Amino acid sequence: MGTQTETLEWRVKIPEKKIEGKAWLNLKKRVIDTGLCTHCSACALVCPVGGIISSPNQEIDFPEWEENCIDCGACIRACHRWEYTPLYDLGDYIDLTAGKSKRFKGQDGAMVTEFMASALEMGLIDRALFVGRDDEWRPVIYHIRSVDQLKNTRVTGTKYSYASVLPELKKAVEVTKKGVGVIGTPCIVTGVRKLQSEFKVFRDKINLVVGLFCMENFYYYQLRAYLEQKGVDLKKLVKMDITKGKFIATMTDSKVSFPVKEMDEIVPHGCESCTDFANVLADVSVGSVGSKAGYSTVVVRAEVGKKVLDYIKDKGYADFSKVNPEIIEKLTKLKKKRIKNIPEEYLSVAFKEDRKKNRENKENKENKENKENTE
Amino acid sequence: MIKIKVPKLKMLDSVKLHVDALLTGAKEAIRPGTITIEYPRERRKLPDNFRGYILFSPERCKSCWQCSFVCPANAIKMELASNNRYYPSIDYAKCIFCHFCVDTCPVTALRPTKIHDVVYKDLEEMYTPTEGMVNPPKIIREEKYTVEYVVEGRDLILKRTREMDNLIPEIEPHAEVKEYSTCFDPESCLACGLCVNSCPVEAISITTVGQERRLKIDREKCYGCGICVNVCPMHILKLVKRPEEGG
Ligand SMILES: Cc1cc2nc3c(=O)[nH]c(=O)nc-3n(C[C@H](O)[C@H](O)[C@H](O)COP(=O)(O)OP(=O)(O)OC[C@H]3O[C@@H](n4cnc5c(N)ncnc54)[C@H](O)[C@@H]3O)c2cc1C
Ligand code: SF4
Ligand code: SF4
Ligand code: SF4
Repeated sequence: MGTQTETLEWRVKIPEKKIEGKAWLNLKKRVIDTGLCTHCSACALVCPVGGIISSPNQEIDFPEWEENCIDCGACIRACHRWEYTPLYDLGDYIDLTAGKSKRFKGQDGAMVTEFMASALEMGLIDRALFVGRDDEWRPVIYHIRSVDQLKNTRVTGTKYSYASVLPELKKAVEVTKKGVGVIGTPCIVTGVRKLQSEFKVFRDKINLVVGLFCMENFYYYQLRAYLEQKGVDLKKLVKMDITKGKFIATMTDSKVSFPVKEMDEIVPHGCESCTDFANVLADVSVGSVGSKAGYSTVVVRAEVGKKVLDYIKDKGYADFSKVNPEIIEKLTKLKKKRIKNIPEEYLSVAFKEDRKKNRENKENKENKENKENTE
Repeated sequence: MIKIKVPKLKMLDSVKLHVDALLTGAKEAIRPGTITIEYPRERRKLPDNFRGYILFSPERCKSCWQCSFVCPANAIKMELASNNRYYPSIDYAKCIFCHFCVDTCPVTALRPTKIHDVVYKDLEEMYTPTEGMVNPPKIIREEKYTVEYVVEGRDLILKRTREMDNLIPEIEPHAEVKEYSTCFDPESCLACGLCVNSCPVEAISITTVGQERRLKIDREKCYGCGICVNVCPMHILKLVKRPEEGG
């Protein structure tokens, strides 16, 4: 991980506060109370006094902040919503394919699991963080260190609840020798990238980031109450799925399904202001739309992802098929519309400048065209 | 797993062993002092690496906390002294005399003794503050002989001498390793200042200038205790060897 120099003097840039008061109060007022927080938990990961609570049952909070927050500002530095740069569209990619793992059982084609398993085999990483579950579908973070651990079907598959992946990432980074693999929804991945831009150790030690497509996620307690009211017994639940606008809960002895639209009331605010469907910052994005049933759509964006894909192909670990990018693009457009839910004052300066430039370019072009037309 | 079989004795052997035992008992009755030691008038000769009462030299201690970290019985508590440094104290109600602390101490500030017969009135008294660890406890001693168990043939013989061995063995202190704290990954620093607050000798400072925090380790003040290294939530500090003076 590079040669390390030892130093006795160093400087750290700290974020500018927006209001008077401790840094946590700033984050709370600007990001959490305004409903922009995505529950990525990056702030909880960095807080040196460990006061920020990330639980699937409540908003991010720091109950004893008045006493315990030391006003270091690390949480603000870690937060990707403090200065919000919305991400959208399908994003850049170097390969687009549909895949179905021959080794694992997952939500769709288990390609997420296959990527991490192969990365472990290749020695690219020595541990990967997975979101598993307990008896009642509470998300539980697993540190996966061997391919065999992935035969456990509780570890693979989608859990539609916020999971505290990032606080575990800190522990993983502390013990890893070869590097860590992370899986996450767009908010988690954006959180990872923000951490990487702020703190070198995360640049050095995270080697593979697999992102999931995502329309929205839920707080566990709200999802649970909702499903129970629909007659779902979580102890008997074997799979949750959202396909073609329907939420399907498959239990050992029956099935319950209803339109996802009905769940709008429990969609967290953080998701309502999220525009990233295709997980544009991941090394590899994986989702279900765009490929036939039983296959995962795989969007390879970075060289490291390509390397792993080549390895999977070499070993014959998966079957491959074609992707229909139009349907993915349709969903990315749909999610992009949520940009209207972000108040102007919370958009980052960088984003506004970019937007201004784009508009000017467009206007120039239009003016030119108009001129040509009138001539 | 290896199982050790209980030897099956023949009737005759069994009788012989019983007779042996009775004879030994009879011998002790006629001429006492062939089996047991008459404590406190006699003292058993103890091996040099006996693990007894622990002594402490504050002038050597670097307040590195290693003893308290390693103690499996949680018997060591670091107490804040008047010079703003932390020193160990031992609760002998908890101590299991493993001497892991003695072995761990990098500067031989903790030393072993063979003292193992301290009397306490109650559990509270067994808590020994730092001051109580500097000198050996005051014990009125009456012993006149040192007794050593020696195996001769099939017999265990008690050898008595008038020579009293030293209960506090001379320990050669380790060569001192001089170190100081440095940051090897400043780009991962949170600027939280926990290191600054943890330093017992104020060798680390943090100053805020505009939107920037400046951290500085004073190499001359730092005496290499490593507390900041343990405290830093990002684990970006480490101790490095001080170059030899004049070399
Ligand atoms: C909240 C959520 C919403 C989604 N919405 C869509 C969508 O609208 N459209 C779409 O096409 N795809 C969506 N997906 C992705 C889809 O459900 C599958 O995860 C994806 O197709 C990968 O399938 P797989 O069989 O390759 O994954 P698998 O091999 O089964 O691995 C999936 C991995 O995802 C991780 N994971 C599960 N739940 C979470 C969680 N809550 N947070 C972080 N990581 C988790 C686990 O580590 C798991 O191992 C969503 C996923 C999630 C978690
Ligand atoms: S201690 Fe630092 S990271 Fe934790 S809440 Fe306060 S300012 Fe944020
Ligand atoms: S978006 Fe992430 S970093 Fe920001 S406040 Fe919410 S959980 Fe914390
Ligand atoms: S304790 Fe560590 S992270 Fe905090 S200021 Fe000191 S060096 Fe930086």
